[in-house]
Amino acid sequence: MLDHILSVLIFFPALAGVFGFAIQKDSIRAYGVAVAAIEFALSLWLWFAFDNSVSGMQFMENIPLVPAFGINYILGVDGISLFIIILAAFFTMIGIASLTDTPNVKNMIVTLLFLQMTMIGVFAALDAIVFYVFWELSLVPMLYIIGAWGGPLRVYASVKFFLYTFTGSLVMLVGMLFMAYFFYQATGTWSFAILDWYRLILPESFQLWLFAAFFMGFAIKVPMFPFHTWLPYAHGQAPTIGSVILAAILLKMGTYAFIRFSLPLFPDASVYFMYPIAVISIIMIVYTAMVAYAQKDVKQVVAYSSVSHMGVIILGTFALNVEGITGSIFLMIAHGVVSGALFLLVGVIYDRRHTKMMDQFGGLAHVMPKYATIFGLMMMASVGMPLTINFVGEFLSLLGFYQQSHILTLLAGIAIIVGAIYMLAAYKKMFFGEVTIEENRNLPDVNKRELVALVPLAIITIWLGIYPKPILDPINNSVESVVQLMHNKSTTEEAKKRIPNISGVVISKTSATEAH
Amino acid sequence: MLNPINVSLESLNLITLAPMLIPVIGALLILVIDVIKGGLDKSLYIVLSILFLALDFGALLNSAGIFTRDGIMLGMFNVMLIDGLAILSQFIIVATSMLFIPLAFTHKRFHEFSYPEFFALFLFMISGFQFMVASDNLILIFVGLETASLALYTLIAMHNRDKSFEAAVKYFTMGALAAGFYSFGSMVFYALTGSVEINQIATVLAANEYADVGYVLVAVTFLLASFGFKLSLVPFHTWAPDVYEGSSAAMAGYMSIVPKIAAFVVAMRLFEFLIHSGVVWLEIVLYIFVVVTMTAANIWALVQTDVKRMLAYSSISHAGFVMAAILIGTTQSNSALFLYWILFSFTNLGSFSMLWMSRQKHLPEHQMSDHSYDKFAGMIKTAPVAASIMGLFMLSLAGLPPFALFWGKLYMISSAVTGGYTGLALIMALNSAIAGYYYIKLIVYMFMKEPVMGNDGHVYVANATLALKSIIGFAAVGTIFAFVALNPILEFVTAFVYNSGY
Repeated sequence: MLDHILSVLIFFPALAGVFGFAIQKDSIRAYGVAVAAIEFALSLWLWFAFDNSVSGMQFMENIPLVPAFGINYILGVDGISLFIIILAAFFTMIGIASLTDTPNVKNMIVTLLFLQMTMIGVFAALDAIVFYVFWELSLVPMLYIIGAWGGPLRVYASVKFFLYTFTGSLVMLVGMLFMAYFFYQATGTWSFAILDWYRLILPESFQLWLFAAFFMGFAIKVPMFPFHTWLPYAHGQAPTIGSVILAAILLKMGTYAFIRFSLPLFPDASVYFMYPIAVISIIMIVYTAMVAYAQKDVKQVVAYSSVSHMGVIILGTFALNVEGITGSIFLMIAHGVVSGALFLLVGVIYDRRHTKMMDQFGGLAHVMPKYATIFGLMMMASVGMPLTINFVGEFLSLLGFYQQSHILTLLAGIAIIVGAIYMLAAYKKMFFGEVTIEENRNLPDVNKRELVALVPLAIITIWLGIYPKPILDPINNSVESVVQLMHNKSTTEEAKKRIPNISGVVISKTSATEAH
Repeated sequence: MLNPINVSLESLNLITLAPMLIPVIGALLILVIDVIKGGLDKSLYIVLSILFLALDFGALLNSAGIFTRDGIMLGMFNVMLIDGLAILSQFIIVATSMLFIPLAFTHKRFHEFSYPEFFALFLFMISGFQFMVASDNLILIFVGLETASLALYTLIAMHNRDKSFEAAVKYFTMGALAAGFYSFGSMVFYALTGSVEINQIATVLAANEYADVGYVLVAVTFLLASFGFKLSLVPFHTWAPDVYEGSSAAMAGYMSIVPKIAAFVVAMRLFEFLIHSGVVWLEIVLYIFVVVTMTAANIWALVQTDVKRMLAYSSISHAGFVMAAILIGTTQSNSALFLYWILFSFTNLGSFSMLWMSRQKHLPEHQMSDHSYDKFAGMIKTAPVAASIMGLFMLSLAGLPPFALFWGKLYMISSAVTGGYTGLALIMALNSAIAGYYYIKLIVYMFMKEPVMGNDGHVYVANATLALKSIIGFAAVGTIFAFVALNPILEFVTAFVYNSGY
């Protein structure tokens, strides 16, 4: 079974989703939790069987799909994708478990299971077309979740979300077709396999155009400034579960794709665009932090803070060295945990008061002490307090970029600190002071179902903040091989200088494993 | 004194005619049965038509076998030309017809199916299309085209509603104009080269190195306009939405596939040698046609309030998309054309059959047209399976992977990339994004809105019978699992196109 564990991970939820139609309505929630728990257990097994010392792909599968056109069903994981897959399985599980009373709950759970298939598919695919299939397919369940269970503007928000990402991906598809064509010209065979593409060295001018085409697809998904306008709408209108999955997993597809595609395929272009992208990320961090400060709706605050942190992830990625990329991958996971938790927390209060306006609250710390504690912890993690999960990622990302530019890193660092203001202000408005609104006096504290979701997240936040090694090591191994590949492939002098050569490290690693 | 002409029967190569003659015989048989004993049920005629089409398909398989063994076949004084393009397009024509004719098994009674002539005309039409694609001779192409078109006009009018008559007359008038253009263009070519055979025309024109390029342009202009009408390229498309709206959904779906593939094959034979011989003007004009047809039709489709009209504009846009293959003119793009059309016929078969299944005889008050968007509001609540299937077809039309049409789009855009048309590839991709909006609009209505009062979901399956449901199920399975059959289809199509020299 381990030979095909990735296929099982991808298609088990979909198959279960199809069977889900046959389940009686009252039992569907238990069914959903059971399926998601099995899936999560399988993903943990994947981690257990994963060999930390190998930097390349593991559990590879390869089935020809359209050999005449070089499309193959290739799957595999390395340290970069492993933890995001586990995160996706984990969030689907706690998302279904913490699902509050929803109309048409059966459709919701089946949709979530299909969404899980597409999410895991994206991170496990090693063929560009298979990747694209899952990437696009993930739009459909999300469109339905936002459009059918969302707020008053849900149709507008869902269609905007769909069209924005769909347009970007189609430009990316043209880029992929060009890449395959260049591969065909160089080798005489069609191939969409990413590992084949890694071996292709392109002239810089081609790289720049292809980088731009892929960038359109990824930047809209992340979303990077100025393509971020769909996200606040999507978050504002989506139901809690939709926001949680969107923030925790779906946005990571974009940042993951940068590391999987853009960096190793176009190292010279990555160096060429490093400063513009870094500037965009800093604008993203500062601008969205300022917008977040101006929001009255607590969910919008969390949404904009989520965009702001995505800026740090991009900055770390484009540091183009081991520290920065490792940090950005770690931050992807951290951001998933923290912003997912924050959206869940907002959902908790929304279920009780059916409003998300901060001026409707105040003094909640007296009424709901447990809630205030967890919220406070997550808020601290979100602003990057040491010994919480976000700190490790942010620190490494900035450390990585510090080697490229001191000034920009300083700016980004200040921006992150300033970013703390809006979170603290929001927390103050909601939790401190006197209870002014009568309805808030008798709000019940978090119940068991909500704790089931929130407590594990809180534990992870602190555990990985104090001891990140079990995750950092495998990530670091895979990132080293990516950086080395980039260094070897780069053609310009500038790129050779910017991307460090770490072959010494790699050699010592391999000899160590051999000795072992 | 005239000498008797001796023609040996072998030299006529009558086997080339077999696939076209089978539906003709079938049509005549249906007419004879009606003369001998009138008033028989439509089911007899439907099944007879399917059987004759199956025989036709068998004859095509035979031709395909001969083609793979011996290459291109000529017959009937070299008028018939059985090459890979002819065989592939006939496969599409006959197979699609076989899938569409069972749609006559409706739950409700419709006027047209009570006449056996309907089925006879249907078979005559198919034979006309088959003649059209299996010839190099401008005159035989014309005869085939007119046989098929005249039959088609009548089939539309037999739906027996005011709008159907309007549609038939409109289509007829436009078709007549196109026929005039076609004959004029062919005449100029004949005057220039002394031949009506496309390969002869090409040889003669190449021999004198396009000395009379002005006349060539005149001929091409007229032929382009004529095919513009048949393929509904903008600005010759104006008939299409009205005709689609006036004819029954089954007929509209049929029209969006079969007449167009026939016209595409002729356009491929005619225009590709001209583009390759460096008639730059034609390349530019065709480029403009392709881009305008794709984009303008997409934008018109955005503002439609009726699903059938939306699908009509979307079909125009798809035709423009596929026309790009003829502009690019490489083996890959020509194969992409056939691949696209095979996948498109599956998806469109499904979506138009869904409309056909929900056809009402009397419209409720709130509903302005047969298939307004309102009618589908909240369909997920009242008819979840039907809504999911309809959504599937819409996603496939929008080009969302892994559904059928995505692979066609992928291969087509790739052929643009390989052929050096980078700008065109981007325009094609962005047009798919625009098109996404109106397909999603129907999904939004079906999945995210509340049903209109008094709609209990019965309306969506009002016309359903086992036959209709099987056809839709078949189309749905084909749409979802297209990727499984993709490799054999692609290899088959590429081999046939390549061996015909395109």
